[in-house]
Amino acid sequence: MILEAFGVMLLAVIVVLALDRYPRIAAAVAIIASLLPLFALTSWAGIMGISLPSFLAPLEFESSLVYNLGPGTLNLAITPLGWFFLLLLATSFPLALLFASSFVRNRAGGFYAGMLLTMLGSFGVLLARDALTFFLFWEIMSWSILAMVLRGGDRRAIVSYLSFGSLSAMLLLFGFMMLYFKTGTFLFGDMHLDTSLTTLVALSMIVAGLAVKGALMPLHVWAPHVYSRSEEPFVAFLSGGLSKLGYFGMLLFMYGIAGLSLLSSWGTFRDVSYFGYALAVIGAFTAFAGTVLAVMQDDLRKLLAYSSVGQLGYIAIGIGIGTPLALTGALFQALNHTFFKAVLFLAAGAVYYRTGKWKISELGGLGYRMPFTFLAALFAIFALAAIPITSGFAAKWLLYEAAIEKKFLFVTPIMLIAGVGAFLYAYKILYGVFLGEPRYDVKEAPISQLVAMWLLVLPLVIFLIFPGWVADLAAPILSEYGMQPIPHTPYVITTNLAAYNTLAVIFALMGALLVSLILYKWKPQEVVPHEDNYLAGEPPELYEYISMHAASNYYEPFEDVFGPVFRRGAERAWEIILAAAEFLGNGARRLYTGLTQDYSIYILLFFLILVGWWLLW
Amino acid sequence: MVSVPPVLLIALPLLFAFFAPLVNMWSRKAVKVYTLLVLILNATLSYLLFANVMQNGVVYEQLSGFYPPIGILLAVGPIGAILALLINTLSTIVYLTYFGEAENSVKFSMLYMLVTASSTGIVITGDLFNMFVFFEITAVGSYGLVASMRTKESFEGAFKYIVLGSIGSAFILLGIATIYGYLKTLNFYDIALRIDTMPPTARLMSFIFLIIGIGVEAEIFPLNGWVPDAYQGASNRVASFFSLGPSKAGIYAIARLIFTLLPILSGWQLALLLGVFTLIIGELAALMQEDPKRMLAYSSIGQMGLILIALSLHSETALIAAIFLMVGHALAKSLLFLGVRDYARGTLRNPLIAAPMFIGILSIIGMPPFPGFWGKWYLMKDLASQGAWLIMLVIILTAIVESVYYARFLHRGTGGEKRKLSRSETAAIIILASLLILVGIFPNYLYDPAVRAAASLLGGGP
Amino acid sequence: MVDLIALGEQILLLAGMVTLGFAIGMFFNGFARKVTARIHNRIGPPIYQGYIDVFKLFAKKTNISHGWIFDLAALFSVAGITLAFLFLPVAGFTLLSTEGDIFLILYLLAIPALGFALGAGASGNPNAAVGIMRALILMLAYELPLVMVVVAMMIHYNTTSLATLVQMQSGMHWAIFVPVFFIGAIIVDMALQGMLMEKPFDIAIAPHEIASGPMVEFGGKHLGALMLYKMMAIVVETTLFVDLFLGGGVVLSVSQYGWIAYVVNFLVWFALITLVFFLALLINAVFPRFRIEQALKFYWKYDALAALLILIWVFAGVSI
Repeated sequence: MILEAFGVMLLAVIVVLALDRYPRIAAAVAIIASLLPLFALTSWAGIMGISLPSFLAPLEFESSLVYNLGPGTLNLAITPLGWFFLLLLATSFPLALLFASSFVRNRAGGFYAGMLLTMLGSFGVLLARDALTFFLFWEIMSWSILAMVLRGGDRRAIVSYLSFGSLSAMLLLFGFMMLYFKTGTFLFGDMHLDTSLTTLVALSMIVAGLAVKGALMPLHVWAPHVYSRSEEPFVAFLSGGLSKLGYFGMLLFMYGIAGLSLLSSWGTFRDVSYFGYALAVIGAFTAFAGTVLAVMQDDLRKLLAYSSVGQLGYIAIGIGIGTPLALTGALFQALNHTFFKAVLFLAAGAVYYRTGKWKISELGGLGYRMPFTFLAALFAIFALAAIPITSGFAAKWLLYEAAIEKKFLFVTPIMLIAGVGAFLYAYKILYGVFLGEPRYDVKEAPISQLVAMWLLVLPLVIFLIFPGWVADLAAPILSEYGMQPIPHTPYVITTNLAAYNTLAVIFALMGALLVSLILYKWKPQEVVPHEDNYLAGEPPELYEYISMHAASNYYEPFEDVFGPVFRRGAERAWEIILAAAEFLGNGARRLYTGLTQDYSIYILLFFLILVGWWLLW
Repeated sequence: MVSVPPVLLIALPLLFAFFAPLVNMWSRKAVKVYTLLVLILNATLSYLLFANVMQNGVVYEQLSGFYPPIGILLAVGPIGAILALLINTLSTIVYLTYFGEAENSVKFSMLYMLVTASSTGIVITGDLFNMFVFFEITAVGSYGLVASMRTKESFEGAFKYIVLGSIGSAFILLGIATIYGYLKTLNFYDIALRIDTMPPTARLMSFIFLIIGIGVEAEIFPLNGWVPDAYQGASNRVASFFSLGPSKAGIYAIARLIFTLLPILSGWQLALLLGVFTLIIGELAALMQEDPKRMLAYSSIGQMGLILIALSLHSETALIAAIFLMVGHALAKSLLFLGVRDYARGTLRNPLIAAPMFIGILSIIGMPPFPGFWGKWYLMKDLASQGAWLIMLVIILTAIVESVYYARFLHRGTGGEKRKLSRSETAAIIILASLLILVGIFPNYLYDPAVRAAASLLGGGP
Repeated sequence: MVDLIALGEQILLLAGMVTLGFAIGMFFNGFARKVTARIHNRIGPPIYQGYIDVFKLFAKKTNISHGWIFDLAALFSVAGITLAFLFLPVAGFTLLSTEGDIFLILYLLAIPALGFALGAGASGNPNAAVGIMRALILMLAYELPLVMVVVAMMIHYNTTSLATLVQMQSGMHWAIFVPVFFIGAIIVDMALQGMLMEKPFDIAIAPHEIASGPMVEFGGKHLGALMLYKMMAIVVETTLFVDLFLGGGVVLSVSQYGWIAYVVNFLVWFALITLVFFLALLINAVFPRFRIEQALKFYWKYDALAALLILIWVFAGVSI
């Protein structure tokens, strides 16, 4: 059924391309096709020890497949790790398409075709059991993203994405080839790696290649450009779903193939391998710098993009630390980020759909106009800021605990301060877009967009109440790596250092809210129109030319302090490299002078060199 | 299966080409149809030949009544059959675009058939002098094709091509003379058998002469000065035709040279070095190129370098890679040349053009599941198994450079006003793109012939 | 049934402690105004002014709201600060602090802050937005030295649970008596000054400049709720300090002295948080205020640098 699924999805790609003029039908076809990975997910639920009722798993997918292509063999099999990440992708994907059904009007066929291709590629990546299959599907996924970026037509986005995508591809290719050189096989199961330097270099290259997709600094340069210049439903899936594949790959290669003992063989520091330590430090730096840069953005999409970069950094920290606690935290953070970032990008899309504006300083006051969008975004922002009334907190908490447990003295404060920085940009979104003076008289977002957003909010609530369920999902993955699952019940997670009981938090919060509600409802109140307050009853029409929404340059003092250090640091570096390449390119181009006599001399010189070489031989 | 005498592949189009003026006298409009029919016939024959070779192995045919080593011999091995099929099929598809043109020149059609025939001749001949003759025909026909645009640029390009092409021919002739002087034979197998009797210096000299001569046609740096100007000056159709026909024939000749004719170690090393340089210079020169056709031309140079690297590695895996790269490049580059316009702006606004061109670019930069990917993967696999990290690094860095300039190309294509191609051109690029997809998704249809070709070449056969 | 009774007792205890906490907070309000007035050589309001203010505000007949998002502020700020209080060990009572840890408290403290900011933003007044902006940057500023010291302590004591930390400090093994954490206590005290938004870090609520900033649009019961939040926040933040460095005020062991220990511990805790708050008031009374970027630079340059030394000390001292 796996091959059939690929075939049906490819067929759907062709069908939606043909249905370019009928966006709604194309959306329906795409959504139906997008259910295939979902059914695959439910069909494979058994490997995670979950038994689902049969109506949830109508299709039977085989758990492994070998298909001979001729020049290579496709080896596909489902693993617990693949299942976990498939859970993230397969659930957010149909919802992104649902959102798109009302959002994308222009050249819709191409949009759905590209989306389906990204999912097809990701599906293959998650099932891949050898390097060829992994690389093949990885690149299909990668270039389908390029196709979606092309729709945006932004120069920086296209050039940065394709060059970084190519860098990533080449690093992966080089790494795989080095592993092939060492082991003589592409099959993950047969790769018995030794502790040689070649293996280390190969693994580093593979991890670096994967880090490009995971937007780790300094390889993140493409992400803000791409995230801010493509259609929102796609970006929601890109940031929420596809960026996780980088971390899927890191887990696969670092713990599934290389293994903890091999990583440790290159030296450890306080029981954490240098390899992981470096990744954790890079992750912490990414988390911090991404956050600082996010605070400084005025474009809503850029803000969310840098926020993604920062939040993904946490996953890298968890993978780097590599204890069961940290890996569970990393998986949890990946799960949370998938849903809350998808909601935020979709909410940004809904706001754009109604107002046509991206700049935070040009928006404002939409909270009363689009209450359901606002509430969904509020939930997502709580999750992003790790406020303990969504599942966002549990993930960060696990990571903090893991870092303290392994005595990461310098990484932990950076993580914590990045968490505080998240409050800053979270509030910037809330205030700049939804609060303050109402400036647009718009309607609530269409129902399909609302449904998509609220279904994505759902997991954030579920895993708030049952954080132990994520630990349950992580258990088979950890046991594959020879690790013990962390001690937990559905509501309580316990570590060596402390415990976190969500039930206590929820009940205490409910009690406290009840008390304050009673206190609050004691006296009646009257609602006064928004404009009547600080303008002392003066009609606002008189002041139309003054914006009372103080959202432009919102964090100016902050920017004064951090701006000089952080703004465009990484981009500068890449621009210098590009300039060097262009210098070389110009040199090469000047060889072709366009003069026939020069070319004839080249031939003659070449002949003379060869003869000289032969004489010296 | 009908067994087709390979000579028909050369003889028929040559013959029909000379009848074209007669057809023209009868009806001007019929010439295009007539040419297309000839090309289709040739493509069919080449398919039959291909099937025959795949079934029965190498097909030999001696001409003019003498037996080898004196007589002229055609020897079609798997690689020759693959390339003959490729050249004939694709030239038919590319010729389709001529139907969208108001212009109707019988000379163009004649030259087109001529070059198709002679390129095919290069890949199926078993005789060095024969090869030289076909090279000459190809070159002369190509000069005419480049100039057929009748613009300043095309005359300029044609002129440069003539000068450098003539120098190249002189070198080939020198090489042939050297070999003939020592061995008194021009038959490939005869030479290969008795090559050891030649003094080493003479052997090396003849190798140098031949590689310089063929290198001009195969677009090897530093012998390829004509390439950017000729491709820029030629019409899209001709540029597209060049990247599938003569350049592939040239690279095939180099393969024969280093495998069958003069399999010497230093020759492989030299070819490898040349390949690396061609790759680096071609890709770097393309990086800063503003004119899209020139950019594609430089990109072709880079690709030729890559193919040359694959050929010079002298292993089965690398040869399979070379064949995938050749097929991928022929399909993708002829597609791109057809779709591109003098400036790239707006080329990609039209989805019917954008999708095929996007696929073409993906194949060239080595993205799966297109033929370029299989080629690159196999090449890297072979390099990795030998531990040739430096060459891998070069390939990787140039691949990144490649993607940067193709990214610029894509960006320019998405901006600006929507552009249209003629219906026949659109049809041609869609067919080419479908071929790319088919070869990519079902690589085993090319893989099996490629394995045979590699075995045959490594065994010293055609 | 036994469980239910235990649960009821527990809930009663929690409710009682929360009520007591609010009462102490209201007292602190009057206390602060009195102390400041005396330093300024004024007479000042009576020491029970805090109670009067809160009851007056909640008793008001006209209450002006600007919509439901505005109302969330009042709800979230009171509920959130109560929640944070519940997860702290207070005066030898662990309350719910075994169910969470220091990180949970740090993030629970964000609930009232964000809720408050939400309402203030919804009021639409630019002054409120500016005030919130400053408050958030200030938060970023003081959190760095705070978390650096906290992390150093947590790694040193190998726990993140405050309840465990208080337990480890019992028997007068207070962290402040460890020389390096004495410096840590000074650093955190400076951070506390920002947390409490006392001078020199009160630019976010500068009354003369931006009309009390975030609170500008609040009146009646809304302002009452916010005052409750502010007052309770003083208790929570000083208790956090006391739990970290002063052993949570626990001087007598309950197992040894029975109920007397509860009373004594409670009194010691109360004396300690009053002392900590008093220190903050003294600084507040004599200093002018920093601009926000000055505050940021102060915390990130001097305070954080000192905290870095502590980190390095712990880094070197931790058994590898």
